[in-house]
Amino acid sequence: MRIRRLAIANRGEVAVRIMRACQELGIETVLLHSEADVSTRAYRMADKRICIGPAPTAESYLNIEANVRGALAGGAEAIHPGFGFLSENADFAEAVEKAGMKFVGPPPSATRQLGDKVRCKQLAQKIGLPLVPGYQGEDQNIDTLIKAAEEIGYPVIVKAAAGGGGRGMKVLKSSDEARELIESAQREGQSAFGSPKVFLEKYLDRAKHIEFQIFGDATGRVMHLFDRECSVQRRHQKIIEEAISPSITPDLRRQMGEAACAIAEAAGYRGAGTVEFLVQDGKFYLLEVNTRLQVEHPVTEMVMNVDLVKAQILTAEGQAVFSNYDLKVPKGHAIECRIYAEDPYLGGVPSTGLLGTVSWPEGPGRRFEYGFEAGDEITPFYDPMIAKVIVWDETRPRAIQKMKRVLADSIVFGVRTNIPYLMEILSHPEFVQGEMTTRFIERHFANPLRAVSMDDWEKKACEKILRATPRSMSVSASSVGEASHANPFGHAWKGGST
Amino acid sequence: MKHEFEIDGKRVNAEAEWIGGTLWIHMNGRSFTYENENDAKKKKRGASGTAGDLVSMMPGKITKILRNVGESVERGAAILVMEAMKMEYTMKSEGPGMITAVNCKAGDQVTAGKVLVQIKPAGEGQIE
Repeated sequence: MRIRRLAIANRGEVAVRIMRACQELGIETVLLHSEADVSTRAYRMADKRICIGPAPTAESYLNIEANVRGALAGGAEAIHPGFGFLSENADFAEAVEKAGMKFVGPPPSATRQLGDKVRCKQLAQKIGLPLVPGYQGEDQNIDTLIKAAEEIGYPVIVKAAAGGGGRGMKVLKSSDEARELIESAQREGQSAFGSPKVFLEKYLDRAKHIEFQIFGDATGRVMHLFDRECSVQRRHQKIIEEAISPSITPDLRRQMGEAACAIAEAAGYRGAGTVEFLVQDGKFYLLEVNTRLQVEHPVTEMVMNVDLVKAQILTAEGQAVFSNYDLKVPKGHAIECRIYAEDPYLGGVPSTGLLGTVSWPEGPGRRFEYGFEAGDEITPFYDPMIAKVIVWDETRPRAIQKMKRVLADSIVFGVRTNIPYLMEILSHPEFVQGEMTTRFIERHFANPLRAVSMDDWEKKACEKILRATPRSMSVSASSVGEASHANPFGHAWKGGST
Repeated sequence: MKHEFEIDGKRVNAEAEWIGGTLWIHMNGRSFTYENENDAKKKKRGASGTAGDLVSMMPGKITKILRNVGESVERGAAILVMEAMKMEYTMKSEGPGMITAVNCKAGDQVTAGKVLVQIKPAGEGQIE
């Protein structure tokens, strides 16, 4: 059945991404947004907008009832949850279906089976997939957890059972810090996902993070679209992702691909999903399954020449997607850099504020996914990722070279970004050689970047620019206030800014 | 606005814009803020907070306060936990000292630059 109008229960760049797919398919869009998100690109692009609540996520983007009510009020026939927020919440999928709409994602039963990390591991065990040793018990008493950590042997990693995206995850190096860090993970789990449940795993200290994009089509067939490597992570938050991994053998790739399809099939999976593995010393271990579209899906799209978001929507409509030919051979190499609003010279503290000029250098094999433009405000309420830069080239060295040039030519005024940090990573010999592990950042980039000092020539240039740039073009302190949340006209000034 | 000129025979290709009293420049492959050295000195003199104090570096919510007024703390001791952009940050004491004031409580939403906890560095103002 064809979807005529689709609601988006998300924000930022992914909301824009979904809208683009809808526009191409001739589907009208309804943006379900919080009060804080009226000055955003997605808000301006949507055909219809429904405010579902105030800025705090618990009262808007994580509120199942408000999202369902908003979608119905907007006349939507389906809901796309994007990633994060309610995307892996089976109760939400059920509520959407109960209200007579289609949920663009896997059936709730598959989300329950695979999304709960503990149940997922039980299924993996049943079908014989390799797992990292750990504790997945129901007993969540802090003393039980500490004892289990000691039995596994430090270092141990604690994770929120309902989690993802690095929230509610900590590495325990010794018994001294076990209590403090487990409790912190429980609080983060409660605040980000509504559940304090955690589990423990042996921490592999030189592993690579390699994941497989899987897709279950409307006929029940599950296939994989090859792998991505996401070893460059900070606090378990991915920073740079690429497709395909530069570091696994064809044989290991085949085994991992088969394992990824096997677990998805066993759970009756449909739509886009990701099976994450850790690879160390030529062996792979199942990490978790993400029952949703992934932030880094564009790198797969670029090497496989597919549109995963469109495929998700078509699958929800019951239509066929991908020919066998599409899925055979990845082509070239793609890299994604996540642009975070943070200060790399202060150890990555979030940077918020009003965006001035934002300019992305378009060109062949370059793709920019962003949710905010000049005049929009980056607020402290949500994830600090403001954009993604994706490049494609024939080989990995060429793609790295291209990414460096693209980042150097990207302009973001108004908030600090991690671009200088990304530039350093892209030049690091371990990254260049493709040998990075999940501890790459911790080992080489633990400290804030050293501030760049200017030479006399640069100072002269800056002084001249300072004198030649009229302040009348400035965004004054009062318009910073005006551009904040509740005002839907906050972006109006941008006409005169560039 | 765009700037194109030459200094000492070298070409400058830059973009610049004032945002709320701060000049942003993109030049030689990076975006940064620029402040005249004299202006920077003036600003520094007016800055608040003294050595040892914990100042919020970002807007966020205080999740938990771990130590009380009057307690002596070691260097690196966890003092409070705050949450910003969905991540937890533990703020630690920069050196040994004594907590003289706690200016926030769990649940507070705080702005960047607020002095959250005042810590008197050890050895300062003590009678020998």
